[in-house]
Amino acid sequence: MKILIIEDEKSLLEDIKHYLTENGYNCDYSTTVKSALNKLAENKYTVALIDLDLPDGSGLEIISYIKNTFPEMGIIITTAANSLEDKLNGLKLGADDYLTKPFHLSELNARIYSLIRRRNFSGKNALVFDGLEIDTTEKKVISNGVALQFTKKEYDILVFLASNPTHLITKEALAENIWGDKAEMATTFDFVYSQIKNLKRKLNEVGLKDYIKVVYGLGYKFKN
Amino acid sequence: MKLLTKTNIYSSVATIILFIIGIFVVFNFIFMKFDSEQDEQLLSAKKIIIESLKKGKTPEQFSSNIGEIIAIRKIKSQTSTLNYFKEYEIQKGQDYAKIRELNFQCLINENAYGISVSISLSQDKKIGEYIFAIVTIYLFISLFILFLLNRYISSHIFSPFYDTLSKIKKWNIKKNDPLTFKKTNIDEFNLINITVQELTQQIKTDYKNLKEFTENVSHESQTPLSIISSKLELLMQGTNYNAKQQEYLQQIFQSTQRIYKLNQVLILMSRIENKQFLASDSINLQYTIQQKIDELEDFISAKQIIISPEFKTQTIKNINPILFDILLNNLMINAIKYNLEQDGIIIIRLDEHTLTIENTSDIGKIEKEFLFERFTKSSTSSSLGVGLSLIKKIIEAFNWQITYSHKNNIHIFKIYL
Repeated sequence: MKILIIEDEKSLLEDIKHYLTENGYNCDYSTTVKSALNKLAENKYTVALIDLDLPDGSGLEIISYIKNTFPEMGIIITTAANSLEDKLNGLKLGADDYLTKPFHLSELNARIYSLIRRRNFSGKNALVFDGLEIDTTEKKVISNGVALQFTKKEYDILVFLASNPTHLITKEALAENIWGDKAEMATTFDFVYSQIKNLKRKLNEVGLKDYIKVVYGLGYKFKN
Repeated sequence: MKLLTKTNIYSSVATIILFIIGIFVVFNFIFMKFDSEQDEQLLSAKKIIIESLKKGKTPEQFSSNIGEIIAIRKIKSQTSTLNYFKEYEIQKGQDYAKIRELNFQCLINENAYGISVSISLSQDKKIGEYIFAIVTIYLFISLFILFLLNRYISSHIFSPFYDTLSKIKKWNIKKNDPLTFKKTNIDEFNLINITVQELTQQIKTDYKNLKEFTENVSHESQTPLSIISSKLELLMQGTNYNAKQQEYLQQIFQSTQRIYKLNQVLILMSRIENKQFLASDSINLQYTIQQKIDELEDFISAKQIIISPEFKTQTIKNINPILFDILLNNLMINAIKYNLEQDGIIIIRLDEHTLTIENTSDIGKIEKEFLFERFTKSSTSSSLGVGLSLIKKIIEAFNWQITYSHKNNIHIFKIYL
């Protein structure tokens, strides 16, 4: 799957590219509106990640172009915190999702995964691991043919972790993914901790040990 | 006390004192004059009597002239050549009449006489009363004119001053342009106006610069923050860290998150100040609050907080939905966060004009004057201050009002919609 990253801040661009490449995506990039339009004319991409604030114009132009030319392509916009109108305009023009800078790379990856899954680009709607299958259409978790029972929050956490396999997911990124702007509550990390504990217990019960690894003080890792 | 009231009191008191002194002086002067004239009259009568006696007129032949009573009696010998004046009162019907009398002795043709001449002063007393009445009336007329004059001064001459005062009072640094005033022909007022004009101009410029600076800082720090944040995330993917290094990473990451959150709030506040949330919508407050309670269910039940909404009406307001969500979020999160560790209570009351959120807490009363200041925080919290000042900003943007009170370990935030 090919992703076009349009971002003028080179340092940030590199990080995104690095993280997404590690997660199995084929990444291409542009730093201007002009070069992005050129790239889009020459290649076929599954998802475009568009920074709205570009040196030679607005990312909104690119959204219009994509919607007219490749209506099936997924679009995620990234904006600075103070350009809410741009974000709304982007969504109006047909962008699928948005992220406000600064964002967690794990969150970006999960959003891309979720977008691809929703649009059913690859035809499969499941995250499949050794002995564990997460059916994201039916919201079911199956282990060796047996359906596992999780609460909604447990399921959300599992999907978030599983869509960033082998990567460290910080407690903060996880809390934000689950509770959004309420994540700043003092008790949030206790919640994350207790949910993860239940998750691990339930996975252990069906013999799926060490899927979720706790990295002390930092966060969690989902490991096959 | 108004400036003019104060000057009025002073000038009235001064006027009354001056009049009393004036009356006293005038009376004394007039009566002194009267006395000397009467004495002259008595002395001229004396002259005529002596001459008449010298010409051979007998005492019995003297009759009283109008206003003069003459009494002549023979005495053995002249013992004095002096004139004795005296004043006394006699009863005349119901009135008392004042009499001035001259007594003297004289020796004429070897006969000694004791003679007294007296005149009545009742006329003078009346004149005194007239003068007193006239002066008193004049005093009251003067005070009345003074009063009218002051009213005129206050409505005409002082009007530019009061105009300036009311403009300064109404001036709002966030809303208004620097003040301008009408020109007056009174130098002092013009000076005040010019000074205030320059002052507000300066304040406005400083405020604008400061605001731009804050906006620029928070805006420009977004990109570096993004880079730090993503680099850190990549750095944290490494596996060969020892415990100490991991701890450092965690601390850097947490601090970055804090700056990022703070930055977001600052950006949000300046956006509210710049009126960038103009779009409004009909919001059903009861429905939105209920939804917020549901969203926060995890946190409410974790602390076993009993939440009791008391909704009286389906209040509908035309406000910006994003801002109202932020407002509600902050109010509710505060009410949960600073609640008791166990068995706390949150009461939400809503009627047509007020929304009240009450929560139990073991944090003491928050000092009112600092409550909504940007960076005040209570000793136990790290984000209360900025959260509350955000609440205040939104309340202001909605033209609502918020009050805070503390009673029996219950914090009460009341919003007047």
